[in-house]
Amino acid sequence: MRIRLKGGRVLDPAHGENAVARDVEFVDGRIVAATREKADAEHELGGAVVMAGGIDLHSHIAGGKMNLARLLMQEDRRAHPEPALPGFSGAACGCGGGRAVPTAHATGCRYAELGYTTVFEPAMLGSNARSAHLEMADIPNLDTGAYLVLGNDDFILRLIKAGAPQEEINAYVGWMLKATQAFAIKIVNPGGINAFKFNARKLDLDEANPHYEVTPRTVLTTLIRAVTELGVPHPIHLHGCNLGVPGNDETTLATIAAAEGRRLHLTHLQFHSYGTEGDRRFSSSAARIAAMVNANPNISVDVGQVMFGQTVTASADYMSQYRNRGLASPKKSIGMDIELDAGCGVVPFEYRDRNFVNALQWAIGLELFLLVEDPWRIFLTTDHPNGGPFTTYPHLIRLLMDRDFRNAQLATLNKTAQAHTLLAQITREYSLEEIAILTRAAPARILGLKDKGHLAPGAVADIAVHEENADREAMFSRAKLVFKNGRLIVRDGEVIDLAPGTTHVVRTDFDTAIESKLDTWFDRAVGLKAKHFRLSDGELRGGRGPTVLNCVGGAS
Amino acid sequence: MNSETGAGAPLVVKDVVCGFCGLGCDDLEVEVAGREVRPRASVCPEAARLLRRLDTGAEAGPASDAVYGRARKLLEAARAPVFAGLGADVDGGRAILDLAARHGGVLDHAVSDGLFANYAAAQRTGWLATTLAEVRNHCDVLLVVGEDPSASFGRFFERALPTDPLFAASRQVIVLGGTLGAAARRQLGAAGVTEIAAEDLTAALSALTQMVAGPAPRGTSFGGAAADALEAAAAALKAAAYAVAVWNAAALEDADLIAERATRLVDALNITTRAGVFPLGGRDNIIGINQLLLWRLGYPLRTAIRGETSEHDSALYATEAALKDADLLVWVSAFRPEPPPAFGGPVIVIGHPDTQFATPPEVFIPVGTPGVDHAGTVFRMDAIVSLPLGALRVATLPSVAEAVRRLEPVR
Repeated sequence: MRIRLKGGRVLDPAHGENAVARDVEFVDGRIVAATREKADAEHELGGAVVMAGGIDLHSHIAGGKMNLARLLMQEDRRAHPEPALPGFSGAACGCGGGRAVPTAHATGCRYAELGYTTVFEPAMLGSNARSAHLEMADIPNLDTGAYLVLGNDDFILRLIKAGAPQEEINAYVGWMLKATQAFAIKIVNPGGINAFKFNARKLDLDEANPHYEVTPRTVLTTLIRAVTELGVPHPIHLHGCNLGVPGNDETTLATIAAAEGRRLHLTHLQFHSYGTEGDRRFSSSAARIAAMVNANPNISVDVGQVMFGQTVTASADYMSQYRNRGLASPKKSIGMDIELDAGCGVVPFEYRDRNFVNALQWAIGLELFLLVEDPWRIFLTTDHPNGGPFTTYPHLIRLLMDRDFRNAQLATLNKTAQAHTLLAQITREYSLEEIAILTRAAPARILGLKDKGHLAPGAVADIAVHEENADREAMFSRAKLVFKNGRLIVRDGEVIDLAPGTTHVVRTDFDTAIESKLDTWFDRAVGLKAKHFRLSDGELRGGRGPTVLNCVGGAS
Repeated sequence: MNSETGAGAPLVVKDVVCGFCGLGCDDLEVEVAGREVRPRASVCPEAARLLRRLDTGAEAGPASDAVYGRARKLLEAARAPVFAGLGADVDGGRAILDLAARHGGVLDHAVSDGLFANYAAAQRTGWLATTLAEVRNHCDVLLVVGEDPSASFGRFFERALPTDPLFAASRQVIVLGGTLGAAARRQLGAAGVTEIAAEDLTAALSALTQMVAGPAPRGTSFGGAAADALEAAAAALKAAAYAVAVWNAAALEDADLIAERATRLVDALNITTRAGVFPLGGRDNIIGINQLLLWRLGYPLRTAIRGETSEHDSALYATEAALKDADLLVWVSAFRPEPPPAFGGPVIVIGHPDTQFATPPEVFIPVGTPGVDHAGTVFRMDAIVSLPLGALRVATLPSVAEAVRRLEPVR
């Protein structure tokens, strides 16, 4: 089936196309060079902006902690019932609802309406991988993938403590990526979640785990080396030490230095950019940290912008979430030590614009967006739902693109917070091209997805069309058209069809000698057979299996 | 699955995954010969009973097209169906949910009373929990509230407190309001066991919780439990590196109060040391079906789909209450021959072929058992780990998913 989009303006930063008037044509889910052949369908776009489908590289969309969050957030669910879907021709779709933690179905639908077609779950626990993949199979309209949380698991800490050779670490990481059908490695509070199981309440970058005597720095550098040598395209995706703690700016700067020039992605950087200046002992270190990011081209970041309103925070970082549970609103929270693997903490939270800390968090996030110079190394996230639901992205885009709007919002916030941010002095406004980089081209590049995030022949026909509108929030709230794998799924901001997505995984070479060690470990320590821990390809996406990216290792 | 065959010998299948009680054992050994399945090793009494299959030649065969047709008619005519039992693997659950989304109706599981007793605590205050592998290796003091867990979870102590933990320096079990049987004591080996008798378990646990949280209540006994025994237990819990509280809500009166007190106790312990609740439950994949509902509908079990929306009410949409306003019961029980509850209206049973009925249902669709006849996924009681069940023999009956998909309208 040949489909042609006529009269649009193409925004494809991967190929330097900035609002180029040209047709976009695709056949059976792949973009092709424009032809004069008769198309099965043509869409006249009248100058609308055409981009690749959005790619969110960090959004909590699946896994046990999201179900715990749903369990805690029944009020949120009730307040956001199933939407009427006038254009949807299917049977009752079991769509579900919710805003802070939408159901799998609603996640797929709401993302699609915003023009997103690929989303990565950034914190899948190995022990919960089967569940996360079952849930992802029920997310329509999105391709997905998941980053495996490593670095708090007792197996790797034992290896590191025992001084195991890097090859053995690499073999373990390679095995785990395959066994859990993961796309990248995430580290959450390196070694800290594990240390909490031994009753440590904090763990700094160079502080030793009370049991293993391994430091977060060692965990980090060991795993950076593993993914580098295995050739995993996405660098270590790091949720650093001391999340949310005033003064964690020093930890963050030290962590960047600890990478020693090797590639490292710092996630939800906003939560790690807090100083201790001022009467409240809480201040913005965004400028210092952005300067360090600018000076270190090996570093990439996503922001984890705070957006005001009710949400729920869900993280593998039980150590930090336990510390924060007193801030829960409503007053309830769940924590869990998990399977010699990691943990999780779920804390409902309302970010209030009149609250000094919350208002300053908001400003810190925007400062980071505006002070980090290279749009290819910073990504648009709210750490959904931790800083706010992904459905606030259009508002965030307007904050970035429209200085007057931003300053008007700033003027309504907590007065003390206003005095503690340099946001009002920052004149930068993001261009449309830069937004396309942040949300399309750059994530595809850093994830190693060669056929996504652009609109050249060979690319997957994941395409978002937005009507030009000076109000950027309105423009990005409702895509005019969205194609998933060549299939029209959204028209005029409404989901009109459901397309099955795929799940991206990586595979690496690894020394299978690790398997007998793992068999023993699972039998004796975990109490579950390694072969039952492992997921087969057929367990993904209702039997359709994953989309595999084979890594080429050897680099170091 | 590892298999060994000898000439003419039955097939020995090792590392069989068990989906019955929710403990998630995956090291069972069974013997398969043709249609017959015989448990051999690492099998608790309940699994032995539910896995055993004899080729009597009298097993129910697959339902005919006419039976499916009758079921479709009943579904089409129903205005307020209740989909209950829900003893199915995750795929079976998906099919049932799709069917309920099409026809509307209430969704509940046969053993959800315990789950919702626990949720009464979890949803009000939340809780600090742990999972099996953590218990195995960290737990040095285990508080059992109520009956011996081995009664419902035959290999509980063997699985939760093996004798060679990675971290726990010692093992102590405190049983409040119950006693451990011979099987439990055998599994526990050298672990210390303290049994504290109690008449009113809630009162005894409240006092223990208060002793841990402070200030200690005054009195010589609480709910029939001696104060000094409770004080010694509180001291042991506070001195533990990693205490764990377990209870089986399905077997307790006032289970919601027990869950709430245990949650508070663990909260209090975590201020200075580490602890977690480990609620027991999870029979017949209730956890898996509940997880499925949470990600598909945003609500747990006891949810009704009406028109285009769904709503949850843990009282109104409990099976017994929901049946009062129902005009059709669809009962699903693939793991065990559990008959449906009494109901005045028409009943469709999608169930175990050996199910015995007091009153024959309007429609009976025999289905295979997950983990015996069909592969499938089930969740463990902690809701974190899920397991792949395998098939032990060639299925002659459909799976729940296959049977339910045949109930969709013929186009």
